[in-house]
Amino acid sequence: MKYKTKLYIGFGAITALMIFLLGIVSSLVTNIHTSVDEIVNDRYKKVEQATIVQNEVNNMTRALTNMLLADNDQQFQEEQNQLKKSRLQVATSLEYLNQHIKLPQGVENLAHMEVAYDNYSQLEKEILEDISAGRVAEASTKITHNAGLMKRELFTAIQNLKQFQEGLLDVAHQRAIESYYFTMKVTIGFVLAGLLLAIGITFWVIRSIGNSLNRITSAISSTEIGPSENLPRIEIITKDEIGEIARAFNQMADSLEKHNKQELEYKEAMQEHNWLKTKVAEITANYQGVQDLAALGQLIITKLSPLVGASYGVFYIKDGQDQQQRLQRKASYAFDGEAVGAEGFAMGEGLVGQCALENRPILLTDVPRHYAQIQSGLGYATPTQVIIMPVEFEGEVLAVIELASLEPFTELHQSLLASVLDTLGAAINSVASNMRIRKLLRESQTLTEELQSQSEELQLQQEELRSINEKLEEQYRNSELKTKELEKVKVDLEEKAKQVQQASQYKSEFLANMSHELRTPLNSLLILAKIMSENKEGNLSQKQVEFAHTIYSAGNDLLHLINDILDLSKVEAGKMSISPTDLSIYEIQAFAERHFRTIAAQKEIQFDIRLAQELPKRIYSDEQRLQQILTNLLSNAFKFTHEGRVTLEVRHAEPEELADHSFMYEVDPVLALSVIDTGIGIPKEKQSIIFEAFQQADGTTSRKYGGTGLGLSISREIAQLLGGCITVNSAEGVGSTFTLYLPAFYLDAKTEEILSLNEAAVGTYLDAAAAPVADEYTKVQDEKGESDSHEESLTDMEESSEVQLAGRKILVVDDDMRNVFALTTALEDRQMNVIFAENGREAIKMMEEHPDTDMVLMDIMMPEMDGYEAMRTIRQMPSYKSLPIIALTAKAMKHDRDKCIEAGASDYISKPVHMDQLFSLMKVWLYKK
Amino acid sequence: MNQEELETIEIELLLEGIYRYYGFDFRNYAVSSIRRRIWHRIRAERLTSISGLQERVLHDARVMEQLLADFSINVTEMFRDPGFFLAFRQKVVPILRDYPFIRIWHAGCSTGQEVYSMAILLHEEGLFDRTRLYATDMNEHVLRRAKTGTFPLDKMQLYTKNYLAAGGTRAFSEYYTVKSDQAIFEPFLGDNIVFAQHNLATDRSFNEFHVIICRNVMIYFDETLQNRVHDLFYDSLCMSGFFGLGNREGVVCTSHANDYEEVDGLEKIYRKVR
Repeated sequence: MKYKTKLYIGFGAITALMIFLLGIVSSLVTNIHTSVDEIVNDRYKKVEQATIVQNEVNNMTRALTNMLLADNDQQFQEEQNQLKKSRLQVATSLEYLNQHIKLPQGVENLAHMEVAYDNYSQLEKEILEDISAGRVAEASTKITHNAGLMKRELFTAIQNLKQFQEGLLDVAHQRAIESYYFTMKVTIGFVLAGLLLAIGITFWVIRSIGNSLNRITSAISSTEIGPSENLPRIEIITKDEIGEIARAFNQMADSLEKHNKQELEYKEAMQEHNWLKTKVAEITANYQGVQDLAALGQLIITKLSPLVGASYGVFYIKDGQDQQQRLQRKASYAFDGEAVGAEGFAMGEGLVGQCALENRPILLTDVPRHYAQIQSGLGYATPTQVIIMPVEFEGEVLAVIELASLEPFTELHQSLLASVLDTLGAAINSVASNMRIRKLLRESQTLTEELQSQSEELQLQQEELRSINEKLEEQYRNSELKTKELEKVKVDLEEKAKQVQQASQYKSEFLANMSHELRTPLNSLLILAKIMSENKEGNLSQKQVEFAHTIYSAGNDLLHLINDILDLSKVEAGKMSISPTDLSIYEIQAFAERHFRTIAAQKEIQFDIRLAQELPKRIYSDEQRLQQILTNLLSNAFKFTHEGRVTLEVRHAEPEELADHSFMYEVDPVLALSVIDTGIGIPKEKQSIIFEAFQQADGTTSRKYGGTGLGLSISREIAQLLGGCITVNSAEGVGSTFTLYLPAFYLDAKTEEILSLNEAAVGTYLDAAAAPVADEYTKVQDEKGESDSHEESLTDMEESSEVQLAGRKILVVDDDMRNVFALTTALEDRQMNVIFAENGREAIKMMEEHPDTDMVLMDIMMPEMDGYEAMRTIRQMPSYKSLPIIALTAKAMKHDRDKCIEAGASDYISKPVHMDQLFSLMKVWLYKK
Repeated sequence: MNQEELETIEIELLLEGIYRYYGFDFRNYAVSSIRRRIWHRIRAERLTSISGLQERVLHDARVMEQLLADFSINVTEMFRDPGFFLAFRQKVVPILRDYPFIRIWHAGCSTGQEVYSMAILLHEEGLFDRTRLYATDMNEHVLRRAKTGTFPLDKMQLYTKNYLAAGGTRAFSEYYTVKSDQAIFEPFLGDNIVFAQHNLATDRSFNEFHVIICRNVMIYFDETLQNRVHDLFYDSLCMSGFFGLGNREGVVCTSHANDYEEVDGLEKIYRKVR
């Protein structure tokens, strides 16, 4: 119900109640009024009229008396008037009473009264006629007697009427009081009822309005203006205005809430936006100064991962060109190195590759267990989300970033990632190009430095070359100087050589004779011992035969020893001649077969001869000597081998084998003839001495194995004569390998000498060209070191290498004669030839006359042609382009000196000339001239 | 494995061996240069391989000495690259005038020509009396020669030309006398020079300097060693100190690129600014 209706009903009800009450009260009051009116107007009037009648009758009596007693007419008259008046009055009252008394008893009473009155009025008229007839005594008796009686009668009638009327009055009064009480009761009842009703309505109206209002008030008052999300709502119970208000309020609350919510969202969006911007700016600011991609990647991954709540992250950068493009891991965050994250991916390989290929981020939600483990010291967990995002620049993917998180990535995180990666593309590009530039710069710098170092080295080599040349020249000069001495020495030496040769010849002859002399009896001894040991006649005891054998074998040893000594002395005396012939490898093979096959069979040792492929068919060497060496090596091998095998191997020598034998280095081809045995071997420390004369590996072995101990030394000497050498390689208990390196084509001593000289020369030139100049340099130095004993001659040499001033032709150009004199004296003291000119022109003339001038000392300030011009002129002459010209200048200004140099002076010296300084200067400029 | 890799291994082993046995650290020298020097020595010793040289070097101190001499390229001249000395005279000397005392470090001085040149320059500019020149080299042999203050006569014509081009204000002949084939420089020039052995590859800073000159030394170093030496110089140079390099070198590619400003870009004179 509407509030208006409610109010209408409330107030209407109260108004109606009031009207009803008023009606009741007014009817009751009218009732009372009627009763009172009846009492007052009817009963009381009737009593009053009856009273008036009584009074007027009295008055008439009195008036009659008075008329009797009247002295004069006038009084009489007055009394008469009075009488008349009373009569009229009584008549009026009676008239009134007749009209108003309706009740039968009243009417009866009134009739009595009127009769009484008529009687009275008859008496009165008689009295009056008596008075008017002078019968005063009669009149007085009538008045006193009759009138009194009459009056009593009348008064009784009046009294009856009055009594009757008063009785009625009492009844009316009683009735009025009853009516009053009734009215009072009814009125009070109604008023009370109305009052209660009014109060009820009022209470109802107030209550219903108040409650609604209270609800609204409480709702409103509990509404706080602020960013609250939950505004109170008013429950709409009624459909009245309050309900409307409530509805309106609710609507307002709704829109307020909506507004707040929007505002809040907007604010949050703003905050997020700001956060985003700040973080992006923070990260971008860090790009500054990053100089390589790995550092940039590490920076990004370490900054970005915690920002987006990622627990591990990997950063891949694209590497390589075209088809070979790969994504290489450059940086990582909380990455444990092995378990997670591959080193790299090809484009399109795996999700990382796919992401790069499509240039589209990939988000993995619901990552399966064991996909990747995020580890800490306390444990590990599987990430819930993995995001893989490309980093692009101008549409090209440059890098890929992969992050894994225990929490899902929010949109904010994703947009942060997107924003950062947007800027990262440009940064990577710039860092990469920066790196490229730096790399190029670095490369160019390195090349420049390399160039410089090469140029310095070249300079150094040049210098070394020059110094070597100088040294060589010096040596050449030196040798020339010494040649003569040498010639002399040579003559002496030749003389001595002759003597030595003679002595040697004596020795050889002695040895030859000696051996012959020894051999002849020894041969007889051997033959006889042999015959004896055969015991053909059978007359010798077993013991004696044994003795004869011993004599024979000892003699045989002695013969070998003598032969060996002879050979050795021949070799050492240079007497062993080499007679090379053409021979075939197969001949060597056949020789070995022939001589050692049987021994091998006897000793039950395997004997192999191996010839390598592609050996030269024919060689040129001394067959006999070669056989001598082979025989020696092979017999040694068989001697020291008790089981196993002996092998003779012929092959080409490998270059590295010859490294230690530089003298064979240039010779080609070189044969290697190895004798390999499985004998007792030679201890390392003995290997060097076995080639010495009379040495065997073990001092005691000679006893066991026999032999002179000269075989190897003779073999070595012969090998050297043949242009080769012998090496040994052995291990004790395993066996030995003796290798003879032999040039396939023997060169006799003279040809060899010439050749080696040539080679050396060629080598020097080649070396010089190829750079290792220091070779020669060190050689020279070595020679110098060796020739320390010739210190004296060296100092001589140094002295001679000093710049010689003596004999030089010096042109002095000066117009100051004192100066010329002083200079000339000083120079001539040093045995120099001095010519002089007074001015430039003259100087040029002198130069033309003396083209062999070594140096010019040129004054500047001169008449006719000054020094500058003179120098310029001289320099224009082709043959004097590099002639040393020393300017003599009195001026101290640098400018003047520069002018000298510009004009063509080689150097300058200030006047007055300091002689020592001048000589130093001259030495500098005359150097090498 | 190809020949080149084998060679690299051999070189590394040789250098490691030298470092371990003799203490000379050539491990961070520029490979191409060191390779040439090594082959040079191999040929000179009539060997065939680097390993062969290694055997010789480790067992024969004389060969090591030779190799050491090969490794230190002592190419120098008086007033070498005269433009450098001219620029030094024109741009650095005016600032040095305000210093009460000047310390100059000549790293890699070789046989001392450039140190004497600097001494002459400073003498002519009137600064020599309050200057101390520290001349260092790793090669004691060349230091001994440097200490003598005598230089071969055959170079003196070139030196004179250089002196003139470097803005010399007097006569070059005032500074030397010739004896035999040597030019002996005035002994007073050596008074303020301290010669000392110092190896840039292994040794540390020994003073703070107003000027450091290290020309055509680092060209023989690889990047690592170059950076180490640059660190060393940076630490040894006082603030606003001058740094002179060879004209093929520079600070651009080093980690101290931003710590120097150019005084003369062409002649590679820098000044430490931070």
